[in-house]
Amino acid sequence: MSCKAFRLVCLLLGLMSGWNSTGLAEAPSVGEKLFALKVQPIFQEKCAGCHSESADSIESGFLLDTREQLLAGGDSWGDSVVVPGEIEDSYLLGMLSREEEGFEMPPKEAEKLTEEEVWAIRDWIQEGAPWPDDERIAGIYRDFAEGVVVQTSGGLSESWTNRKYDPEDLWAFQPIQTEFPELSDACKCSPVDSFIDQQLDERGILSAPRASRQVLIRRATFDLLGLPPTPAEVQEFVDDPRDDNEAFAALVDRLLESPHYGEQWGRHWLDVVRYADSSGFANDYERPNAWRFRDYVVRAFNADKPFDKFIQEQIAGDELAEANGDELTQEQRTELLVASGFLRMGPWEHTGMSVAKVTRQLFLDDITDTVGQVFLGQALQCCRCHDHKFDPIPTRDFYSVQAVFATTQFAEIETEWLPDENLAGMEEDKKYHRLRHAANEKVLQELHQKQAEYEAEWFRERGMPYKTKAEAKKAGVAVDELPNRTLKTAEEFGKERIGRKWQHRFNWEFDRYKPFAYSTYSGVTRTPKSSYSRIPKPDNPSKGGELEKTAILGGGDPFSPTIPVQPGVLSAVPGALEVSFPASHSGRRTAFAQWVADPENTLTSRVLVNRIWAFHFGRGIAGNPNNFGTTGKKPTHPKLLDWLATEFVSNGWSIKHLHRVIMNTDAYCRSTTHFHPEQLSSADPSGTSYAVFLPRRLEAEEIRDATLSVSGELNPALGGIPIRPDMNLEAALQPRMIMGTFAPSYVPNPDPNDRNRRSIYIHKIRGHRIPFLETFNQPGSETSCEMRDQSNITPQVFAMLNGQEANDRALALAKRVLDECDDEQQVVRQLFELCFGRLPTDAELQATQQHWDQMNELQKELHFEPVEYPVEVVREAVDENTGERFEFTEKLFAYQDYIPDLQPHQVDARTRALADVCLVLLNSNEFVYVY
Amino acid sequence: MLRREFLYSLSATLGPAAFSSLLAEEATKSSGSSGPHFPEAKAKHCIFLYMEGGPSHIDTFDPKPKLSELHLKEFQRSGEKQSAMSSGKRYYVESPFKFHKVGESGADMCDRWEHLPNVADELCFYRGCQVESVNHPTANYHVNTGNRFGGDPAIGAWVNYGLGTENKDLPGYIVLPELFHPQGGSANWSNGFLPTAFQGTPLRPKGSPILDIAPPPGITQEHQRKNLDYLQFLNRNHASQHPQHDDLRARMQNYELAFRMQVEVPGILSLDDETEKTLEMYGVGQEPTDNFGRRCLLARKLVEKGVRFVQLYASTWDSHDYLAKAHGALIPAVDQPIAALIQDLRQRGLLDETLIVWMGEFGRTPDNGVRGGGLAYGRDHNPDAMSIWMAGGGCRAGHTIGATDEIGATAVENVHHIRDFHVTLLRLLGLDDNKLTYYHAGRFKQLSQFGGATIPELIA
Repeated sequence: MSCKAFRLVCLLLGLMSGWNSTGLAEAPSVGEKLFALKVQPIFQEKCAGCHSESADSIESGFLLDTREQLLAGGDSWGDSVVVPGEIEDSYLLGMLSREEEGFEMPPKEAEKLTEEEVWAIRDWIQEGAPWPDDERIAGIYRDFAEGVVVQTSGGLSESWTNRKYDPEDLWAFQPIQTEFPELSDACKCSPVDSFIDQQLDERGILSAPRASRQVLIRRATFDLLGLPPTPAEVQEFVDDPRDDNEAFAALVDRLLESPHYGEQWGRHWLDVVRYADSSGFANDYERPNAWRFRDYVVRAFNADKPFDKFIQEQIAGDELAEANGDELTQEQRTELLVASGFLRMGPWEHTGMSVAKVTRQLFLDDITDTVGQVFLGQALQCCRCHDHKFDPIPTRDFYSVQAVFATTQFAEIETEWLPDENLAGMEEDKKYHRLRHAANEKVLQELHQKQAEYEAEWFRERGMPYKTKAEAKKAGVAVDELPNRTLKTAEEFGKERIGRKWQHRFNWEFDRYKPFAYSTYSGVTRTPKSSYSRIPKPDNPSKGGELEKTAILGGGDPFSPTIPVQPGVLSAVPGALEVSFPASHSGRRTAFAQWVADPENTLTSRVLVNRIWAFHFGRGIAGNPNNFGTTGKKPTHPKLLDWLATEFVSNGWSIKHLHRVIMNTDAYCRSTTHFHPEQLSSADPSGTSYAVFLPRRLEAEEIRDATLSVSGELNPALGGIPIRPDMNLEAALQPRMIMGTFAPSYVPNPDPNDRNRRSIYIHKIRGHRIPFLETFNQPGSETSCEMRDQSNITPQVFAMLNGQEANDRALALAKRVLDECDDEQQVVRQLFELCFGRLPTDAELQATQQHWDQMNELQKELHFEPVEYPVEVVREAVDENTGERFEFTEKLFAYQDYIPDLQPHQVDARTRALADVCLVLLNSNEFVYVY
Repeated sequence: MLRREFLYSLSATLGPAAFSSLLAEEATKSSGSSGPHFPEAKAKHCIFLYMEGGPSHIDTFDPKPKLSELHLKEFQRSGEKQSAMSSGKRYYVESPFKFHKVGESGADMCDRWEHLPNVADELCFYRGCQVESVNHPTANYHVNTGNRFGGDPAIGAWVNYGLGTENKDLPGYIVLPELFHPQGGSANWSNGFLPTAFQGTPLRPKGSPILDIAPPPGITQEHQRKNLDYLQFLNRNHASQHPQHDDLRARMQNYELAFRMQVEVPGILSLDDETEKTLEMYGVGQEPTDNFGRRCLLARKLVEKGVRFVQLYASTWDSHDYLAKAHGALIPAVDQPIAALIQDLRQRGLLDETLIVWMGEFGRTPDNGVRGGGLAYGRDHNPDAMSIWMAGGGCRAGHTIGATDEIGATAVENVHHIRDFHVTLLRLLGLDDNKLTYYHAGRFKQLSQFGGATIPELIA
């Protein structure tokens, strides 16, 4: 892309600035200008939905399409709605100012007019309510409206195409500032600090002092690794003789080299791309190869893959593999095919009940909107049905971007395993999967046997000389004369349904252990089969289907195509109109991805640096990382954002470089406590100044990982097939409906070493989430999540205080510390160091020992038995054929070999009492908050 | 924001006075309004009887004698809108049940309903509703949240957001699922983009009603109290180091509330205080009514305790085959409990303020695929026609509104999209869909998605 001038056509002419002749034959009156610039837009935006010929249903017989209609009024007020020149007599004003009870207009409170808007209509009526024709209105708008016009591919109406925007709302479409004046070197501060400090100075805000080294190592370690620092690491950092900045920079460098860095930041990215291991919706089938995409993301972060490359691989990996086939190694090809699994991360399925066009459109809408949010900070779904109400994005652009994906097809493509992929545990996992599968096959066989007997009986009763339906069919018996279904009881029907469904599922799930890439290819669209097995890539992608012709869909309805469109990009981005696409069905995504990852794209690099910043500071420079449009929060430090984007791009799109630039600053290292909190809250009520660092609660996965880490149970292995930790047993065995029947139970891995791995590896089933993670605000994976919530709700207490996992961790922690330490005081000190990264105060030491003793007395009286784990579960269900209840038994094979974590009956009272202490520490505020 | 969400959590009785005043202030700020938009509305609570799987209108409340003439006649459905299921040879099928007129209002019911006719005049039937989706999970989401793809707040979350809570000891939105969760799972009772505290709380029919509400085996109240005291000691010390961190106090208080809830919730769920006569009336302890009867009775108790919105699931009405058998068994399982619920609420003077809604995610087709014939036939999914009824809560009892065509294929009279039914439902509860909005992802969102109309015929 060559450098382009910014295309805003500036026409900053105010209402009051007088008329300058640019085409209007006669100067407009004040009333005409009011109408053209203020009144009619209000009518169109706020009233036309119910008071226009084009409305679905007209309310109160009142229309606002012409002056005559307005003056004629409607059912309720007749011709006294508006009396030109007589504002006292015009009831419209009472309605609009919401004083006419029962007639408040518009009815939606949220859409009520501002005082200024009501005044504009009042003044217009006062001026005689003139209503110029459309041409004149357009002329007045062109000459007198405030704001700037943005050149786009064009809206559905001329008035949208020519409409003007407040330049402030267009910040993300303006070129990124790349030249900065010499940053003051009066201080040795980083450029980031100079932007932040400048604003602090301007606002007269004092900043908080630097946080202590103890605080900083905990902050940085959780931030980059999602894990707590070990006591030794804390000690080393506190004792580092270098000056604070140097020591901290070295710490950041060390953390960035840890392989756990990729897990933590990969996890953030997986939130953004809504990763899950299942399809969602009716069947919620496992996506057995999706985990390879998860590991691809972790590797990309660990290797500091240049982000422009990372973008292109996710959007167009398969096309890049195809186009550069000869030059690529097998490994490079595999990596690319796995990467484009990004395109298929959304919930999607096609069942026997689905209409092909509808499910295809579901994918197309999802990926169009997702690409917009993830990479461009533009929520595009608004433009599915109309030109964007606030942003310069016509519906044409939505469908042009959609056309890019119109040749994107799904396939599971056979590849090789990569040397970096973790294949451990596969054989073990497969063993149980085989057992499960075999048991199901046996049930099915028994039922088929029974069915055969019933069939034979059916023919015998009718004196027909056949034994089976197949035989009769072969002999030419009409379909109508064959037995329909020959099972009898609710149990038989129910079990047969379960068996068939589980057969599909289990068969497909064997793919978990095979090197398929959950991927895409470019080609024509074929009629999909119900998706209960892998989709093969056809030999000839351009045959056997239809080359989709994308068109703007009326009302977003796939059955109402209107104007055809070609592949394109967001036309308001400078230079966008010159991006060209290949004519063939392949290569569209490559071209699109190049545009996204172009340094001159005004959105991409800003969006990315803002995301990274937001994860570090708990809020973005622009407050809505997925929405850089008019309705998103404006950047608080726009120059800093541009500086970071420039720094990022000019350093090879290196995320690790960006971490260093952001973290090695005074702003990042500030204390969370301010000396003058009242002064701060009055000077910076919305907390945008970075005068203090914001504390944060650990995220769901971090809480689990941190408890495993301090208890010493964490298996730090990277990657591999999804793991299944202990889930609350009731939730694990909670029966749930899938299409036509019931899903198999959740069964944990039998070996603690497999269970106690980092949470990013947990099998993420959309319809069956881990309650612990869900309750701590792990987002659902329907749509892209820009930032997680941190709410405080009571079920969190139940999970952390009563839940089995929390109690298991506490016991393991107690055992660990008792094993490592000799005397009681040492035990308590070690506990505090592990959990909080500091030593206890004297008061804490004393209280803790006291509590331990007290609990010891209670625990001495308690007796624990080994927990029995269920090796089968009996289910009650309703059969859909008969409406009758039936029972079935599901064997839980993995539980036969289940090795529990350390249990209360295995330890003495003193250890259990210490576990009480540990449980409290893990529940404490100091453990779950980072400062 | 964090404080507010905490305050709406499953809280037990509140402690310090300062805290109560904080609650009052936050409650006003965080709900959609300071009360109902239509104070004259009668309904204050809603019991939503969700017949999961899509009950057949043709075989429950909407007789189609014409289908007897057409029985087993063949036709074909075509066009690109068809799914694999609806392709191929199809046959019209008649209802296996006889219909009669019941109550003074002369409502239509099939003869499998034996108890519901006793309260027929309390019911307002609606035959004009249409939905968009033919798949269960998307149709469930559509009915429950207004959005076919899920992720938005469920009706119960909106109602609590709008009306606030009457009982701070209990969640305002309680779900009583079957043993198994419906298709689409917990997103059917999601808080969506509303604060987490408006999420539906499923009370589990077996085991612990709320996950992990009971301490681990062997651990007593006294034991846990001692741990909590030590926890609060640590937390107090910590808070004194971080005086500017607002969330700390909220999280500390949360532990106390949880501790009290552990004691109180199990009692609320017990049916021990109910008389023999009441239990019998609901069919508790008898088959096939025990399962649904218990939950209907519990729903009444929850409403009495001030819970705003209770949703019950009964399944599965997805009778693609063996309609006679399947619907024939499902109806008696819910018939007596529902009739008892209406009578019980009436005798306690609660029917006027409690809106009952009975519906599924769609209706069923007048035809069946080639699998049909004999008694094996069933019906497939039909988004164009369904039967809904309401009772109590200011609905227009004793009337049947709207109509479907002569074979029940599509609604033809007083036809409304589900969004209008949502608007009407809110209206009956005193809420204005256009005012009950929440700013999210760049616009004010509402249950009906983009606004809808009330169906005045359904309101008394």
